[in-house]
Amino acid sequence: MSSSTTTDAVTLTRAGVVSGLLRLGPFALFAVPFGMAFGVAAVERGLSVAQALLMSALVFAGAAQFAALELWAAPLPYLSLALVVFAVNARHLVMGAALAPWINRLPPALRLASLGVMSDANFAASHAAFEAGGRDAGVLLGGGLALWLAWMTGTVVGLGAGASIGDLDRFGVDVVMVVFLAAVVTGGVRTHRLVPPLAVAGAVAVLTLALLPTGWNVIAGAVAGGLVGALRYDGSTDAG
Amino acid sequence: MPGEVASYAAIVLLALITLVTRVAGAELLRKVAMTGRLKAFLDTLALAVLVALVASFLAQHGSREAAAVAVACALMMLTRSPILAMVGGMATAALWALAGG
Repeated sequence: MSSSTTTDAVTLTRAGVVSGLLRLGPFALFAVPFGMAFGVAAVERGLSVAQALLMSALVFAGAAQFAALELWAAPLPYLSLALVVFAVNARHLVMGAALAPWINRLPPALRLASLGVMSDANFAASHAAFEAGGRDAGVLLGGGLALWLAWMTGTVVGLGAGASIGDLDRFGVDVVMVVFLAAVVTGGVRTHRLVPPLAVAGAVAVLTLALLPTGWNVIAGAVAGGLVGALRYDGSTDAG
Repeated sequence: MPGEVASYAAIVLLALITLVTRVAGAELLRKVAMTGRLKAFLDTLALAVLVALVASFLAQHGSREAAAVAVACALMMLTRSPILAMVGGMATAALWALAGG
């Protein structure tokens, strides 16, 4: 095989999928406790076992699922649920764009299959592999499958635990969603440049809480924060 | 608690939206270039929505929940372990209740 140039063909092979499974397998174990936390939180929020399993299977995005639970009340606020989940998953757009130079050389069905299970960890692994000259998108797909299996395993265990424990608030389960999201934010603030836009996001969300319908204050805060982040962009460094 | 049909409809909707975010980044680059400013907006948006969620949750709850979040953030900064942060936050909320708070 020639050394990597941007004109090399990109493939998706079974060997690549196996390699992705093996590479992400150990890391995927870390997704199990998060899946458990989601399962327990879903029970606490009143989702049925089938609903929680379907959500984990089809959505397969931890922060977005926790965010959705936070807005889960009758009547379901579809539009704010949709916008919040879109905003939580907006980072996927950036990740997909980063993989575009290689992924876009695959046929549409294989693009859909591999990007369909893209998550933070397998994105990072496959991007590094492409950069290093790898040309097999199977790493993305296989890594995604490993993470999906771990996420489903955790959800199943969490649903079982949530149903059998009984009074969940006693164990602090009612705060599991918010402490998870707070931990994700704290881990995501890698540069002090993010602090002003995030402070604006929180302030706008709280100030508009009483003024806007369910969930819309969250959208308002998110968009305000995003705009401040974009306006402060000076072309020199990444925002994240 | 939302009804069966409404819940399943919402779950499918959220799944489709998430799939679109996964696929659209690469698709868009077939048409347009990703600018630094757009990337900055999307990068910030993903964290800003979580901050907005946490902030409005805290505004609607009490000091027990605020203490749990504070402990989780502190543990995350100290250990960089989301698992420890979650366990610490939940333990704080659980102990708060035990103490009769």
